Amino acid sequence: MLKKPTPSYQSRHGTGLLRSLWTVLRHAFTKRDTIPYPDVKRPLPARWRGRIVLTRDPDGEERCVACYLCSAVCPVDCIHLQSRQLDEGRRYPETFTIDFSRCIFCGFCEEACPTLAIQLTPDFEMCEKHHASLVYDKQQLLIDGQGKHPGYNFYRRAGVAIAGKAIGEAECDTPPVDRDSNLP
Amino acid sequence: MDTFLIDGQSVTFEPGENILQAALEADIQIPHFCYHAALGSLGACRLCAVEINPKDSDKNARVVMACLEPAQKGLEVSLSAAAAQQVRRHVIELLMINHPHDCPICDEGGECHLQEMTVACGPSYRRYRGNKRTFPNQDLGPLIHHEMNRCITCYRCTRFYQDYALGNDLGAMRLRNEVYFGRFQDGPLENPFAGNLVEICPTGVFTDAVFRQHFARTWDLKTAPSICPHCSVGCNTLPGARDGTLRRVRNRAHQELNRWFICDRGRYGHQYSEHNTRPLSPRVSGINTDYRSALAAAARKIQAAAERTGGIGSVREDLEGNVMLRSLLNDLKGIFTAFNDPELEAATLTAVSRMQELDNTPHLAALEQIDAALITGDLTVHAPMIDLALRQAWRNGAKLAMLHSSVAPLTQFASTAATVAPREIHDMLTQLYRQISRQPETNDAVTQTIKTIAATLSQARQPLMAGVVETSTAQDIIALAELAKAFEPAAQLIYVLPGPNAYGAALLSAAGDTVSLLKAVERGEVQTLIVAGSDPFSEPRSGARWRVARQKINTLIVLDCIATATAEAADILIPVAAWPERSGTFVNYEGRAQGFSTVFHRPEYLPSTADIISEISRLLENQLCDAASMLQDSFPGFQAPTPGTPGVQISAQHLPIRNNELMQTEPYSSDNGWQAALTSWLGDEPLAGFSPALTELAPPDTALINPESAARASLKSGSSVRLWNSVYSVETCVQINPSVANETIAIPRSMLVRLGIGHGDSLNLEQLV
Repeated sequence: MLKKPTPSYQSRHGTGLLRSLWTVLRHAFTKRDTIPYPDVKRPLPARWRGRIVLTRDPDGEERCVACYLCSAVCPVDCIHLQSRQLDEGRRYPETFTIDFSRCIFCGFCEEACPTLAIQLTPDFEMCEKHHASLVYDKQQLLIDGQGKHPGYNFYRRAGVAIAGKAIGEAECDTPPVDRDSNLP
Repeated sequence: MDTFLIDGQSVTFEPGENILQAALEADIQIPHFCYHAALGSLGACRLCAVEINPKDSDKNARVVMACLEPAQKGLEVSLSAAAAQQVRRHVIELLMINHPHDCPICDEGGECHLQEMTVACGPSYRRYRGNKRTFPNQDLGPLIHHEMNRCITCYRCTRFYQDYALGNDLGAMRLRNEVYFGRFQDGPLENPFAGNLVEICPTGVFTDAVFRQHFARTWDLKTAPSICPHCSVGCNTLPGARDGTLRRVRNRAHQELNRWFICDRGRYGHQYSEHNTRPLSPRVSGINTDYRSALAAAARKIQAAAERTGGIGSVREDLEGNVMLRSLLNDLKGIFTAFNDPELEAATLTAVSRMQELDNTPHLAALEQIDAALITGDLTVHAPMIDLALRQAWRNGAKLAMLHSSVAPLTQFASTAATVAPREIHDMLTQLYRQISRQPETNDAVTQTIKTIAATLSQARQPLMAGVVETSTAQDIIALAELAKAFEPAAQLIYVLPGPNAYGAALLSAAGDTVSLLKAVERGEVQTLIVAGSDPFSEPRSGARWRVARQKINTLIVLDCIATATAEAADILIPVAAWPERSGTFVNYEGRAQGFSTVFHRPEYLPSTADIISEISRLLENQLCDAASMLQDSFPGFQAPTPGTPGVQISAQHLPIRNNELMQTEPYSSDNGWQAALTSWLGDEPLAGFSPALTELAPPDTALINPESAARASLKSGSSVRLWNSVYSVETCVQINPSVANETIAIPRSMLVRLGIGHGDSLNLEQLV
């Protein structure tokens, strides 16, 4: 059996309609939430997880030391690299590719990176017509700046020798022990 | 068996074991650094702290080192006790005070014992804010990279290097918290087992310098059980590959063969498969082509030659490849042999038949238990792991007697060592036999050396006779076997064979086929010659004959994975997969058949030898069966052993015992001139010869002569000489070396090949002014 509408409902019917019209009218003059993208671009937070870059240290050298931790942690296996070593001791990635068609921008690589080299940036505009164009190589990934972490230089803290920094010259090192002497 | 408790879990132990050993055997992981099953306990690292509950309730529980505390019945051990945990935590914290911030660039990362122990027991953060102690590094040669800052002073390196491998150029220096492990001066480590430092170091002080050039983390490496192809011992290895290239080779424990270690040739010889001269595409008359047309061309040539086809298998080709080639040749009614040199064939067949007859060839673990040995030749180069096992026997008190014609590093541990010219070894062994069986001939002037060796062997509980086939004649091998028989049933007999599958190749060969094939080729009776994985042109004794006979061959078809001299001269070159790229079976010196499996595939298509021969036979419409059933025909009941298992003794009919008719070639001329002897070094092996890291360590090509003979011929160190035989000559300079026998010129293999002579052949010398 259908329930009969109560008299109070009937009495509010007319004012309710007016109120809706008023609300709509009022909204016509408020500030718009919708942004006419791409003519207007919304500012993204600095910690937005977008396009991945490889940064450089304060001396302008590559920060990446090709430790393979990013490729190990990547849940979709989209990072591939091969390490190389300069004669003077510095490690670097000979090749470094990220397949952005696979990448899920989870940011694990950034968390895993011990040298703060790999960083996610607030940029998501990476549309391409071809699938293969989404596979970025090192040239496309490596930027000229330090990214979000200015000032950090892994090799100034590591124990290995590189050009311009011999053993014992790192920030927290004492001068090397003279192995040929038995004096205390 | 008695038991004790670890955290309430019952653990059984053998008498004499300590708590750590018993726990590790029961798969209870007590953290440790300096303990190693091969090196024993030291108590240097203090990490294996455990708490022992007293039986007496009014005494306090005490913390002890599990590696130093003997296991006792009813002991109550606690690994999780707070006091023990705190000790371990403090040990790690102290070790990490000076440990550098290197993990991202350290090759050990991911398989680092220190990383694991720190995660397991240590604090997550370094509290100490002071500076770190640092050490300069040393250049330890092309095989090992040194990064001394990472050291945690567990002493495993020197204990392995000095105590186990008996090297003397790596040690501990300085004192206190500044103990330094290195050489006295920069330079390559001299011990042939130095590469094991990479695996034995619990952190990244010693890392693989070859792997470093194309580094990949352990989790990215593709691995599968494999067998080392660099000598006849058949050590088990674990190659690691990534992106279609082979990156490194590690030891894989086999309880009876290599347990924890492999030699440097096994570890670094793998670079042959990445060498830039390696053939990767088939070549017909010097033009690169594809497999289809190369195989079609090969099949056409074989069809045209029909029974005028010859086939050479190889001692480094697997059982499958050899048996397929033999079957193809049987179908064609051509001649098959697995050897390049008639004398080497005779020697290998004799050695295998004698080992089968005596049936007492020890594996490496048993070798460590012998108490006396007679060794002829240089084991260090021809079978390095047998050398390492004998070094352990020497440590256990075994007396080693050595007869050698040229340099043999094992002599430094020999109680009796005598330099004997290659042709006199047989006489020496015969005299020894007479001395032992107490029938010395009256006119025999028995030297003191022989008396001493005879006495040593007679007093032994379990004497071992070890010979090297490559530097012996069939007669020497028979003499050594007779000597072993004199001590039956206690005596053990080992012959080091000339390749990883020489035993298998010998079982598939018939005596005399090599000389028949060589003569047939020289007479022009062979139109097409198929060479699978072999290099007859670089054979010391018969190489020159093969090179001349090459002119009589219409088509030379070579199947190989390295650019040998024969492969370079081939009309049709068909590249095959290298060992880690295919599966197959090797039979080692004991007759143990061991399987190896495909680790990875290169980007190029590279089939195995057996696949290629089966494809050729399909093109010939011969329809050979597959290698497995061919092997079943040759060895009844043979089942290819599964890779990763200990392997099976191959059950084959014993080779016939022959005494004299094996000597195919004419006896040595009886002149009293110089004799040539082979002097080799660790990388002197066909595959390892393509490993740049090893060849960098090759000694200079000189003629080694002993001081007395040199003085008689008025030669000085550095004198230029011309060595010649009837046809060829080479110029070189002399080096004086007391390890060389009288009237003997010890020269490297390359020089023997150029002269076209073998170990023991006559040689003339002329001094150049």
